[in-house]
Amino acid sequence: MGHRKSGELLQGTLPLLILRVLVPEPNHGFAIARRIQQISKDVLRVEEGSLYPALHKMELEGWIASEWGLTENHRKAKYYKLTRTGRKQLKHETGRWDAIAGAIAAILQEA
Amino acid sequence: MPGWMTRGRLRIRALVRRHHDQELQDELQLHMKLLEDEYRAQGMTEAEAQAAARRQFGNATQIKEQSHDLFAFGFLDDLFRDLRFAARSLRKSPAFAAAAVLTLAIGIGGNTAMFSVIHGVLLRPLDYPDPDRLVFLARENPDEVTSGRFSLERLDEMRTAARSYTGLGAFLAHPEDVTFSGNGDPEVLTAARVSANFADILGVRPVLGRSFLAEEDTSGGPAVAMISAELWKRRFGADPSLAGKTAILNSTSYAIIGVLPAGFQFPFPAVDVWVTRPAESSNLEPTFRRCCSPLFGFARLKPGVTLQQARSELNVLNERYATAYPNKRVYAGPLRLTQLKDQLTENVSTMLWMLLGAVGFVLLIACANVASLLMARATSRSRELAMRTALGASRGRVIRQLLTESMVLAVAGGMLGLLLARFLFGVITSMTAFDLPRAEEIHIDGVVLGFTVALSIATGAMFGIVPALRAVRPSVVDMLRQSGAAGAGTFGKRGKLGVSTWGMLVVAQVALSMVLLVGAALMMKSLAQVASVDPGLQAAGLLTMRIPLPATRYDTFEKRAAFFDELVRRIETVPGVRGATVVRKLPTTLGRLGTNLQIQGQEIAEPGHLGIALQSITPGYFRVLGIPLKRGRELTARDNTSGAPPAVIINESFARRFWSAYPGGEDPVGKRIKVPILDVGPLEIVGVVGDVHERGLTRNTEPQFYIPQWLYPPNNAYLAVRTEQEPLRSVSAIRAEVRAVDRAQAVADIRTMDMILAASVGQQHLATWLLGLFAGTALLLAMVGIYGVLAYSVAQRTQEIGIRRALGAQASDILTNVMGHGLALALAGVALGIGGAFALTRIVTGLLFRTSPTDPATFAGIALLFIMVALAASYVPARRAATVDPMRALR
Repeated sequence: MGHRKSGELLQGTLPLLILRVLVPEPNHGFAIARRIQQISKDVLRVEEGSLYPALHKMELEGWIASEWGLTENHRKAKYYKLTRTGRKQLKHETGRWDAIAGAIAAILQEA
Repeated sequence: MPGWMTRGRLRIRALVRRHHDQELQDELQLHMKLLEDEYRAQGMTEAEAQAAARRQFGNATQIKEQSHDLFAFGFLDDLFRDLRFAARSLRKSPAFAAAAVLTLAIGIGGNTAMFSVIHGVLLRPLDYPDPDRLVFLARENPDEVTSGRFSLERLDEMRTAARSYTGLGAFLAHPEDVTFSGNGDPEVLTAARVSANFADILGVRPVLGRSFLAEEDTSGGPAVAMISAELWKRRFGADPSLAGKTAILNSTSYAIIGVLPAGFQFPFPAVDVWVTRPAESSNLEPTFRRCCSPLFGFARLKPGVTLQQARSELNVLNERYATAYPNKRVYAGPLRLTQLKDQLTENVSTMLWMLLGAVGFVLLIACANVASLLMARATSRSRELAMRTALGASRGRVIRQLLTESMVLAVAGGMLGLLLARFLFGVITSMTAFDLPRAEEIHIDGVVLGFTVALSIATGAMFGIVPALRAVRPSVVDMLRQSGAAGAGTFGKRGKLGVSTWGMLVVAQVALSMVLLVGAALMMKSLAQVASVDPGLQAAGLLTMRIPLPATRYDTFEKRAAFFDELVRRIETVPGVRGATVVRKLPTTLGRLGTNLQIQGQEIAEPGHLGIALQSITPGYFRVLGIPLKRGRELTARDNTSGAPPAVIINESFARRFWSAYPGGEDPVGKRIKVPILDVGPLEIVGVVGDVHERGLTRNTEPQFYIPQWLYPPNNAYLAVRTEQEPLRSVSAIRAEVRAVDRAQAVADIRTMDMILAASVGQQHLATWLLGLFAGTALLLAMVGIYGVLAYSVAQRTQEIGIRRALGAQASDILTNVMGHGLALALAGVALGIGGAFALTRIVTGLLFRTSPTDPATFAGIALLFIMVALAASYVPARRAATVDPMRALR
């Protein structure tokens, strides 16, 4: 899996991505990982080992809430949805990310 | 970490984990299944898909672990990590840990012990239903003689008019000795006279039989008695049938109608028998029962009536009474209402609160001491702490870790303190000198344990927080930049007010212990004042014992008088005995007989209000006790002969009371007095003797008169024997003489007169002793505090001192400098302490005898003592500073 190295997430960006992916509808862990992979055209891969601890941490922070539901194949799944604080956090993190991305871009252009 | 701790941790974790684990398991399971689905869709076989999913998924356990750390386990693990760390770091400095734990144990233990006493005696509600509605009635501003009692007349008026109570009762103000016979050997028991409704008011049900009926309270009604569970067991073998059981009390037969529950203590402790008709005191003639019976009242407030409302009603009744009886009567004056509980503990509550306050001060001082120990430690650990901060520990995290350490110390101190409290508490309750009401209700129970736990935690927070906050104050960079020893030098850094936190701790310690010492010194001074009171007799070399004559065998005055005369005659022949005498009540023993009398030529309409103390004596009384004769003559054997012209001796208070010009003016000797309860004509005053402090050394002397015992021989008398040798060595010889007169006669309460006098001030003694102990501990702790702060300061300033020395400062300059520092702290503390003591010692005014709570000499003396102590405590570190070798210090 040679491409995996490049697909590793920058530290601290996973929560941002999860928040963003949850905007349209609540979803379960597997689907969240697949959505991120899909939207990023396979550039970003979310490892299970980071996904679940991140979800749990975000739940503790109150950004997302969870409830048990059924998938279309009638499997029991834990669905996560954005909370009000989660939306605020998303806005905040997006702003922060834009600032950092802009700053990095500026450096790359200058140097 | 000890094994139990590990096990405890695992158990807690396991409980919280179980539910969480299941959910996590389900969540991860789903993920695996979906992965498998994906692989199968790509064309893998079932088995291949499963294997691939598992491979991709990686280590599920690791995910679980990470997730655990996020949830509560993170907190718990931190806590246990902190605890483990605290235990390890304390183990590394056992001397510090031991000093801190021991100091705290003393503080917490003392507080727990005092609190358990206060909880049992003052705070716990009385053991009756709805105890808050029980009130006590007595007269306001009780004087020495009547001590707040009031009459049957007054009680009856209250009963007719008052609307606030569901029941209003009364009891005779003092217990009576009765001789109980029937069912075995006669014995002297303690009886209480109570109104028939007493059990109903209190809400107490007899364990057997019934309580009194209203008709049993009327004069001439049936003679019935209730008895204690103890007596029922002892004398009636706990027979469940009371039918036909009788008790002969002072030769009257009483039907026993009920048994009260074990441990029942109303209105006095250790009552054996309760009878009705409270006004019918055996000391009082029937004609005086209505006007002059000494009663206390008690009542239960109606539901919905507040104490305040009952008081306003009482005020109206008081005014009505004052208008109805404009002439000052016996027991005149307004009545007052108090909670029954407050009344029971009135005598000791100030003392107990004072002692709790004192021991609270000791704990505060102990906290200050441990806080400065911790600060010294934190300072020398500053590099370690800075390192932890640099490695990512937040300030909060470091504070939490330091506080955990404090808590470990506090809890260890608390546990050791509890052991100490158990011991102390045993000592306090076993000291009969304390004479604690409700002493049997003192236990170390859940509330006390809760108090100890709360106190330990509060203590840990109190002494831990300042050092913890200080420890994280300096910036990390600062700390790391500085080198080891010099880097530790945040001590001495001055705050905004120019005083270091540490210095303030020492000042507070000195101030607090100063307050305690002033209190203790005042109490000691007061005791010295008590000791300097001339009791009015020669106590040394006097042996005393009580001789209770059973009324069955000694049913007439003649038999009693003959017994005592014969006893005295025989004892006076015993070798080594200088003299013997029999008296109704020895000075400071309880149960004075107050009686009415008239002086011939000074007749007054209502004799009852006098309540002058009567003593029956055998002729040698004044000689044997060493009471000086002021005028006239002593009683002689002839005066003590049946049928002799009645003679009486009065004391000087008596003389002053009725001949206001005494010792000038008319001579009382030769005057006659009429004493209605005595079955003889007027008595002639033949002599005047000095006053004796009959009611205790701290009480004023009062009028008293002495009659020859044949006129009114007591059935329960004291024998006093003056011996040549140590009094207690004559006991067996004297007992033999008692048996020689009456083989069946027992003696009780064998004591020397010195012991009796000491017991009368036992409570003050003990309170002083305890306060002194607390104050001494406080002084010691404060001394250690001063020493500690200076020793540390000198250690920290070694370099600076070295430079000073190198620049030419003399050893004496350094000595002065350091001692000056100590002295400055002490002076600040002393100044604060004087202020505090000035404000607080007023509280103990009631406990002091002939001593002002702001006694300047005491204040000055203690202040001086503190300055000396401070100098002594500073000397050692100052000496060390002065001998600093400049070269070594600078290297």
